[in-house]
Amino acid sequence: MEAAEARHPQVERLRREICRLQAAPRRYLVVLRTGIRSFDELLPSSGLPLGQVLELWGEAASGRTTLALRALASATQENRLAAYVDGPRQLYPLAAAALGVELSRLLIVRPNAPGKLVWTAVQLARSGAFACLALDLTHTAVKMSLAECKRLSDAASRGGCCLLLLTPPEAPADGMIRLEISSSGVQGVRVEVQRSRQGKTGAQAVIPWPSFYPGEPPQFRYRERSGSTASAEGNSKISPCPIHRVKVSWPRDGGGIARSRPGRDVALPQLGSSLGL
Amino acid sequence: MPALAGRPIAFVEEFKGQRRILFASSAALAAGLRPGMTLAAATALVTTLRHFAYRPDVERAALMSLAEQLLLIAPAFQLCPPDGMWLDASAAALCDGEEGLCRRALEICASRGCRARATVASEAFTARALTRHGRKTIEVVLPRTGARALEALPLDALEHIDGSTVGILRSFGLTSLGEVASLPPGALLVRMGAAGLLVHRLCRGEDDSAFVPTALPEVLEESIDLDWPAESLEPLLFALKTTLDRLCARLAGRKRAAIRITLTLKLDPPGEERVCLILARPSARSKLLLELARHRIADLTLPNPIVALKATVDQFCEDPETQLRLGDEPEGDAALEVVLSRLSSVLGEDALFCAQLQPVHRPEAAYAPKSFHPPAPERGLLADAERSVRTISQSDEVLVQRPSRLLERPASLAVDLDQEGDLRSARLLGKHRKVLAVSGPERVCGEWWADASYNRDYYRVYFEGFGPAWIFRDDRDGQFYLQGMFD
Repeated sequence: MEAAEARHPQVERLRREICRLQAAPRRYLVVLRTGIRSFDELLPSSGLPLGQVLELWGEAASGRTTLALRALASATQENRLAAYVDGPRQLYPLAAAALGVELSRLLIVRPNAPGKLVWTAVQLARSGAFACLALDLTHTAVKMSLAECKRLSDAASRGGCCLLLLTPPEAPADGMIRLEISSSGVQGVRVEVQRSRQGKTGAQAVIPWPSFYPGEPPQFRYRERSGSTASAEGNSKISPCPIHRVKVSWPRDGGGIARSRPGRDVALPQLGSSLGL
Repeated sequence: MPALAGRPIAFVEEFKGQRRILFASSAALAAGLRPGMTLAAATALVTTLRHFAYRPDVERAALMSLAEQLLLIAPAFQLCPPDGMWLDASAAALCDGEEGLCRRALEICASRGCRARATVASEAFTARALTRHGRKTIEVVLPRTGARALEALPLDALEHIDGSTVGILRSFGLTSLGEVASLPPGALLVRMGAAGLLVHRLCRGEDDSAFVPTALPEVLEESIDLDWPAESLEPLLFALKTTLDRLCARLAGRKRAAIRITLTLKLDPPGEERVCLILARPSARSKLLLELARHRIADLTLPNPIVALKATVDQFCEDPETQLRLGDEPEGDAALEVVLSRLSSVLGEDALFCAQLQPVHRPEAAYAPKSFHPPAPERGLLADAERSVRTISQSDEVLVQRPSRLLERPASLAVDLDQEGDLRSARLLGKHRKVLAVSGPERVCGEWWADASYNRDYYRVYFEGFGPAWIFRDDRDGQFYLQGMFD
């Protein structure tokens, strides 16, 4: 043995390295954390559990899609694949990118027939290839039966996939956990755990809009009924300017209006290079 | 085919109205068959003989396929039809020497079900003659020792020389190449001319013919004719496996991986069915491709039996990674490919896509669908050890906040403005809603040189009883439009 070690010190070193790697603790993804602390703490498992169906139930423009995209973003940031079954065909990938989703790992499926939405989600979830899957049933007039809900749940469990159901108020599904999402005006998005077999039923939180985005939050001017003006943070802070311009993606360099008028004095910023194209 | 293993079979060619044996299997040769024998005589000799028509184009394609697979160990090859090839042995050092190169080549041939012999020599003639007529399976001829290696070979080794020249040598009573090499070259030149001198040089191991690499075909395709029309899946899968094995071997030889493969099934009566296999992750693994093809073909309902099939690689790329990592489990990729293949067969290829951002300012044209080809996963023990904790972050400042839902067409919005021109309320989803907060405007304009120019002022507006909406005022008509929602 010693002679062999002397002959092949590199082999022996590799053997020790393999032993070290095998003994090292392995990382298993059990929950997806969105990175929004108030939302993660609201859930019984301190994150979105893999292998379960979680229902995001609420009105249009309530913030369901943004929450789902943050979950997809956390999956793609873990180098996993994510999928979005887009029933209403309205998903805007730019928003997904702004929320941190790695678009190269996001599969978007837009079936032509609404009847294929659930089937598609079952296939994707059961495959085990996707860590997070969102099924958007908004404006599709699809009302899931109990059998379909069970099939989805089984598929998510078998594939170890976190399945997010985006359901409208008129057609709730039968998710393991149901979160009621509603808009809370300029304050943000109100999330309430309406049903959970693991506890925390009734818990609620308001997530400010800026916390969804990793970048700098925008500022708002809002008008109260009396007509006074205040900032979006909702405190007594008064906004000095009537309308706040959002931050633009290129520095102001005195180009003036020519900046927004292509072909004039100042060259347009290179959008392609910014996108990495 | 497995049913033919060990049985006497022969390839037959029609020559001057007579069908004659061209090649025969070992079992047939052992039974007394010889090339050149008429088929009638051969059948009389071996009653169980099975014979097939010799098709040079098919044989050449098979030889080409094998040669491309051998590119794994040699940088170039030159075909020597009907059953041989020269390989460039300059990379022998990578295969543990010239003997190692030969062993590796024979292993590859065996994996394709071919028996082969290999010789490494400095001259093309020496290599070919020893491979075809030598006794060793693997032989390495050192430089300038070709004459000694060739001396025991019979005159049949001069098969590519004109038959009359070899006939003259036989008439001299010569039987081996060594005897020819020992003759004085001047005498051969006088009696047989330039041909005699050429033969003498070859027998002395002097061949200055150049190695001319065969050009690789641009289109990668493999086809096979079924012996009987297939009406069920099993015989078709058998043929498909052979075809895909060959195709993947050729891809591997070129260090390429397939992205898109078209299977053409020829029916009888005439007709054809095409099946397209699109891979999310480029691959040259025949097992995976066969699994995908099985899923797709199993769902097909064809009116007629299948008589032939053809597999064509429509799109390929460089093989991203062929070496597995410690603890790697490549079987996991099959799940992704199978589910994508199943979905695309049911929903259509256009229904599945991956969004790619475009350098366009117009919001509705800011992304384009493209095929879903995710990056390779990090797996194995090293992936766990090397992975660092990452937080969600925006990749670029240009990705400003955009609505998560974008309407297919902007919807006209009836709004009330105050005296300053600010938004006060709007009619949305059948209700009059008060504006609570506004962010903007963000001016987006462009394409001023075209008819479809646009100049829009975008606002993010919080309406009463509704989430934030993304509306714009169009400069062309001064109207407000709803384009998206921050759902």
